[in-house]
Amino acid sequence: MSYKNAADASSVAVVYAGILRGFSRMRRLPSLMIPSILMPVFFVIAFSGSFASIVELDGYETDKAVNWMTAWAVMQGAAFSGMGAGGLAATDLENGFFDRLRVAPIRPMAIIGGLVGYCVCRALIPITAVLIVAFGVLHAEMPGGVLGFVMVYLSGIGMAAVMGLFVLGIVFTFRTLKSLAIGQIFMFSAMFLSVGQAPIQAIDGWLHSVAAINPVTNVIRMCRQGFLGEVTWSMTQPGLIALAGMVVGTSIWARIRYKKVDI
Amino acid sequence: MLRQPQSWAPGLFFPLLLAAVYSSQFSKAVDIVGFPFQDVSFLDFVLPACVIQGVLFGSTNSASDLAADIENSFMDRLLVSPVSRASILLARLASAFMYGVVQAGILITIFLIFGANIAGGFPSIISIVLIAALLAVSIGSFGIAIALRTGSQEVVQSTFPLIFVAIFVSSAFFPVQLMEGWYGSIAQKNPLTWIIDPTRRMAIVGFSWKDLGQSLGIISAIASLGIGISIWQLRRRLVSAQ
Repeated sequence: MSYKNAADASSVAVVYAGILRGFSRMRRLPSLMIPSILMPVFFVIAFSGSFASIVELDGYETDKAVNWMTAWAVMQGAAFSGMGAGGLAATDLENGFFDRLRVAPIRPMAIIGGLVGYCVCRALIPITAVLIVAFGVLHAEMPGGVLGFVMVYLSGIGMAAVMGLFVLGIVFTFRTLKSLAIGQIFMFSAMFLSVGQAPIQAIDGWLHSVAAINPVTNVIRMCRQGFLGEVTWSMTQPGLIALAGMVVGTSIWARIRYKKVDI
Repeated sequence: MLRQPQSWAPGLFFPLLLAAVYSSQFSKAVDIVGFPFQDVSFLDFVLPACVIQGVLFGSTNSASDLAADIENSFMDRLLVSPVSRASILLARLASAFMYGVVQAGILITIFLIFGANIAGGFPSIISIVLIAALLAVSIGSFGIAIALRTGSQEVVQSTFPLIFVAIFVSSAFFPVQLMEGWYGSIAQKNPLTWIIDPTRRMAIVGFSWKDLGQSLGIISAIASLGIGISIWQLRRRLVSAQ
């Protein structure tokens, strides 16, 4: 493809069209959304129910497990939505539609941006579903107020973007739908090796060291802070830095692997 | 299994990941008042559940293979060949059993390497492997019934979340005594809890014929139902094929 005319189409318009296309596909195949909504909703119910007594241990800073687990379920839902970008790209690669996008006079980052934009917008659905169940059914509390909800959505869409970009890199490398399984393994590993289910004080051994340096830990803390108390800059800043770093890193990864599609 | 590692690898990866994470994250949970076992590590506590989880994740493989045979018409060739109809079903169930034995054996070996302790020794290990393998057969038989009914791999695979839900809404990862409200009530009534609890006692307290009998009795009841439905669906398919 010639990059000389890459800017012929407005990148913003391409990103917008990519998002609309993703939602159009979602409307035609609603079954695609069911797992990404049901699974995080199930997570918040299952983890809050199973580990109801775990908040008796030091470090949880709340007396209700749902206040701890909702942020975890939100992150899972956002990450599942991020996988949607990979699913859409892999389908396009398998049926040849991606080749048409590649030869069109548009910037590669606009194509990637459309896919990621779609999964970021899509992440709003499971995040909202988890919050409805957490507050409506499980009686979660948000002492952090409106800012707490802002933190939940901000960290959720950030995680969806990171996961979307990461999975796109994998899909561009292997060019098959089956390669999404690799993304799932990475996603689960990154999520579980963090403070998703337990505070850092309660974690022992090797996992304590891993969770302490895992950037997802800071994002989950940012997401969770409103459920535990006031929203503070000291909890928000590390989360924003972690998200920014991961977005930059995974963008570079996705852009580099995009070239692989040609080979 | 050799040609398609993606069909069994998740059944090893996820239980091991959960065991590794939970044994670090919830190591202090054994100190909570009301925890049913004293002087036990959380790794020991989750061992039986993780083995059963891994085997259940793989229990749909036989059914999925059968659905693939139906989709690509290999089943039709089997039906016109001079083989016993029962052997078609038995082969799939035997495959689920062997898969369960191998996977449970691998998982227990890895757990032991990483410091888990099975108080009942060899008899308990054999019992856990047997329970896991027979549970794979019993749950797999429902998958086989679905495969025979629908002939669709996708439909068989879509039953996977149900297994996931059944495991989590049970005593697999936390004692039901410490669960609250309606969730705890459902977990207490979940047949998987009645299988996991005695299996766990055999791992933590020691081998007991009573616990083995309880687990195998419940598994037998589930298997009878599943195999019965599978036979019914096989007959239905044979009639429609004539």
